[in-house]
Amino acid sequence: VHSMDFDDTWHPATHPSGAVLPAVIALSEAFSQKKRISGLDLLLAFNVGIEVQGRLLHFSSEARNIPKRFHPPTVVGTMGSAAACAKLLALDQLKCKNALAVAASYAGAPLANAATQTKPLHVGNAAKHGLEAACLASLGVQGNRQILDMESGMGAFYSDYSPQSLPTLQSYPWLLDQQDVAIKRFPAHLGTHWVADAAASVRRKLVEHGSNLLPLDKIEKVVVKVPEVRYVNRPAPASEHEARHSFQFVACSALLDGGMSVASFAVENIHRAALRELLRKTRLEHPADNEPSFENLYCEVSVTLRDGCAFSGRCDTFYGHWRKPLRKEDLERKFQSNASQVLSAEAVEGIIETVYNLENVQDCSVLSAFLSGQSARALSEKLHL
Amino acid sequence: PEETVTSSFASFIHGVQPKQLSKAVCHRSKRMILDSIGVGLVGSRTHVFNIALQYCRELYSSAAVSSVYGKPGVKLSPTLAAFTNGVATHSMDFDDTWHPATHPSGAVLPALLAASQMLPPSTKPNGLDFLLAFNVGLEVQGRLMHFSSEAHNIPKRFHPPSVVGTMGSAAATAKLLSLSTAQCTHALGIAASFAGAPMANAATQAKPLHMGNATRLGFEAALLAARGMEANPSILDSIPGCSGFSAFYSAYEPKPLAVPSDHHEFLLEKQDIAFKRFPAHLGMHWVVDAALSVRNLFINYAGSFSSSLIRTVVLKVPVSKYINRPSPSSEHEARHSFQFNACTALLDGEVNLSSFTENSIHRQELRELLDKVVVEHPEDNVANFDKMYGEVALLLHSGDVLTGKCDTFYGHWRNPLSRESLLKKFRSNASYVLSDEKIEAIIATVDNLENLSDSSQL
Repeated sequence: VHSMDFDDTWHPATHPSGAVLPAVIALSEAFSQKKRISGLDLLLAFNVGIEVQGRLLHFSSEARNIPKRFHPPTVVGTMGSAAACAKLLALDQLKCKNALAVAASYAGAPLANAATQTKPLHVGNAAKHGLEAACLASLGVQGNRQILDMESGMGAFYSDYSPQSLPTLQSYPWLLDQQDVAIKRFPAHLGTHWVADAAASVRRKLVEHGSNLLPLDKIEKVVVKVPEVRYVNRPAPASEHEARHSFQFVACSALLDGGMSVASFAVENIHRAALRELLRKTRLEHPADNEPSFENLYCEVSVTLRDGCAFSGRCDTFYGHWRKPLRKEDLERKFQSNASQVLSAEAVEGIIETVYNLENVQDCSVLSAFLSGQSARALSEKLHL
Repeated sequence: PEETVTSSFASFIHGVQPKQLSKAVCHRSKRMILDSIGVGLVGSRTHVFNIALQYCRELYSSAAVSSVYGKPGVKLSPTLAAFTNGVATHSMDFDDTWHPATHPSGAVLPALLAASQMLPPSTKPNGLDFLLAFNVGLEVQGRLMHFSSEAHNIPKRFHPPSVVGTMGSAAATAKLLSLSTAQCTHALGIAASFAGAPMANAATQAKPLHMGNATRLGFEAALLAARGMEANPSILDSIPGCSGFSAFYSAYEPKPLAVPSDHHEFLLEKQDIAFKRFPAHLGMHWVVDAALSVRNLFINYAGSFSSSLIRTVVLKVPVSKYINRPSPSSEHEARHSFQFNACTALLDGEVNLSSFTENSIHRQELRELLDKVVVEHPEDNVANFDKMYGEVALLLHSGDVLTGKCDTFYGHWRNPLSRESLLKKFRSNASYVLSDEKIEAIIATVDNLENLSDSSQL
């Protein structure tokens, strides 16, 4: 899920789904012989996993900004996965506590591995280790029952940590109700999505001048105004992982092509001459008012031509951000484009239908069946929609 | 390319040769290997070990080639075997301790044992390769701990085996598997993303998992690196604005390792290990020795030990929240309680494996004595395994005061266990699960490790 940095992002910052969904799907498949898990069970467990992550992120002010020390999915994602699996396993309250305690001992990976091939392991491990923690707890392993309360517990991952009890279950206020996620339109760090939209808008002004091609040799310099985020500041990325974490790369790529897609990160495209040339003319600026937070940041791209003319474009809220969520058609289009790389058209449509109707699905193993490529005909009996 | 701290570590791991192991280092590390095996064997009888084993057996093991402590005939996949054996090693808090503080062997030995069984017969490492890889794992842990002054004191935030142990395991297995320098670099980088567990789970049943995971995940990191996985090549260096290994410390100052010349000085040469005489946190060993000495004074004074003559027991120990427990209710808590260990030593005249059974923990006379304990934290008693002391004072109803103090317990690096004591501990531990024959065979094999042709025999 995290291999291309294409997964969802929340506020405070983490990639919530990738840490939870793989674990609950795997667990539901493991059950299918013994008992039936309904779509609603799956949906509830999933939301428990998301909610726990969100609540934990609120316990530290550090979490509001783009991270610097630990990669959030490895901290809260592991906990979310443990919570979701504990829910699906129907563990009693004591075992739920122990699942969380054990999970904490698996949590936390440093940010320096972002923009490398190892970063996707972070989300993989979060899901896997959370599941493992829940399994160990269900077998009876006990940890510190105050793991979320203590500074030497969950607090170890933050410099300031102020935990709070969750509201009572009576009309429970889910965080997802108040705060939506951002869905990415192309596979790169969320911060680059502002850059892409700003670059696309300035490109429109530039090509009005002439044909549909960017007047490359006329460009003197490109300035990209973004917040200071060290691990996304890469003037000349050499690998796809680095390119996905480079403000400069996305700015130039979007300027050249008018937009970003999965293909923008193909090896040929990363190394094309025109892009390299444009990268050499590009630099970043960090205005004081540009906060490193996915809630508040903005991007401004300005292009100065040799003749002195300057054009700029700004983006405050990119399309796909929680303030401007993707429309149903666009979300589906993203899904279809991704899924069709490996699944048949039938399976693709089957999954879309199943997920839209998840609350009413009697046996959620249909989801795994579609994922494993079984034909829809064989499954239509299972789909009691 | 300029030399980074990370690349100096990778060069060390890749380039160091067996002939660079000094006699002292060979000797000390073999003692550690023996002790660690013994502790792992007796640990195979614990509840937490059983859960870990059950869990691993339920996971599909496509390459079940590696053995598990205390369970002849059971084999798991290499990383899961490492996990289970790591859990066994730390299950009773009976394993070795170093300075700066960590439990080094449990993070390295299980992975190496499992890996040696994994390799095909034609490339099995010999005993000397094994011993070298083991020492690489120790050395890396020690060097990393010197990068932060925080590491010198008893930890508060992250449990050190989960931080440096994981890195040590990655380094040791990378060495055993003969990874290239670049692969060694990436093994370290990946391992950092698998490191780090909070202290709060110490004194719970989950703590042994820290060791199991350190050795397993470090091993996994090396395996991933061997298959081409790449991570941040400067993971050990200081990267402003974006933490690498420094994420686990508030103050972090890395330094490159010297390129192995003819005389690489291993840290183990300068700084020996402490071996535990009974299965409890290292800090307990000071108070127990102090308690035993004051108990002797008491017996001289009163003829025999009787708690009814005691009004108050005063313990003078350093400040460390997770080992200050007035009234522990589980074996894990008891192993992390100054009060419990002092009182047990006073009542019984010794502390051993059976001191931590359910019956022993909850007996009436112990509970009564525990009620009389008061803990003090003198300013000069630093929370540091090199400097701390333990003092036990008995304030009697008669008004007399008897005191016992211990600066260096027997088993500490300043007062190391004799060969006889170490063997006695090993034989006692191993006898829970092995025959006498096998026990003596292991002792002989480890003694002669440098000359062993196939280390998977171990």
